[in-house]
Amino acid sequence: MSTILKIFVFPAAMVIMCLGVLTILGGHITPGGGFQGGAMIAAGFIFCLIVYGLKESPFHLSHDFLAAIESIGALGYVFLGIAGLAFSGFYLYNLGVDIYSIVPVFIKNIFDYPDPTHAGIIPYLNFVVGLKVMVGLTAVVIAFMGFNEITNDSKEEAQETEWEIE
Amino acid sequence: MIIYVGPLVLGLLLGFIIGSRIKMNPESKINFDASVYLIFLIIAFIVAYFVGPFPYYLDTPFASGFVAAAVGIILGKLIFGRDRTPKKVEG
Repeated sequence: MSTILKIFVFPAAMVIMCLGVLTILGGHITPGGGFQGGAMIAAGFIFCLIVYGLKESPFHLSHDFLAAIESIGALGYVFLGIAGLAFSGFYLYNLGVDIYSIVPVFIKNIFDYPDPTHAGIIPYLNFVVGLKVMVGLTAVVIAFMGFNEITNDSKEEAQETEWEIE
Repeated sequence: MIIYVGPLVLGLLLGFIIGSRIKMNPESKINFDASVYLIFLIIAFIVAYFVGPFPYYLDTPFASGFVAAAVGIILGKLIFGRDRTPKKVEG
């Protein structure tokens, strides 16, 4: 890749990621949400991976990190669902809003989202979905780039052995 | 100007997670020093101003979640984003 791209892409990727975060944060009242914002953040990671390559990318996403964030995202979603089941009897009941007034006030306060809409658990669900989508989409590209490198290495090795035989 | 805690905290947290993964490879010729992050922060403020008070429209003159994410990225880089240690070469 050209030098101009290598200078430009890293700061640009960070700005794209911030826009992704903003999309996640506005998911409960505007178009967008966890999936769309997570995909935008993943686009920032993928942008860097394509321009700098897997080894030289400024964003180092290890297997452990990907696994941990993916698990936190899934478990967070399940936790919010089960919390609704435990306190109201309905899976994924919006405890922070409590439209049927069946939940104690202190539980409602715990799951309240401090903004003018008081959207309850919806922003938290967007957050955990965003985390999951972010690492999920990036992991696919990392895997493909890893396979590509292995394939290229094996092709080079095969060519070298052919030359040695000749 | 009203400041809402929710988007600030979640934005900072997401930015922090992203920033903690910025780890330069010491064997690489590419090097981004502190000036890159300073320019990024200035650009982030400008972009946030032009985005406007999204998504609440009446709170601040700029997108507070955007700025929180930018600050989170830089904090994450400062706290956890150390350079990768070079692999030991077996002699």
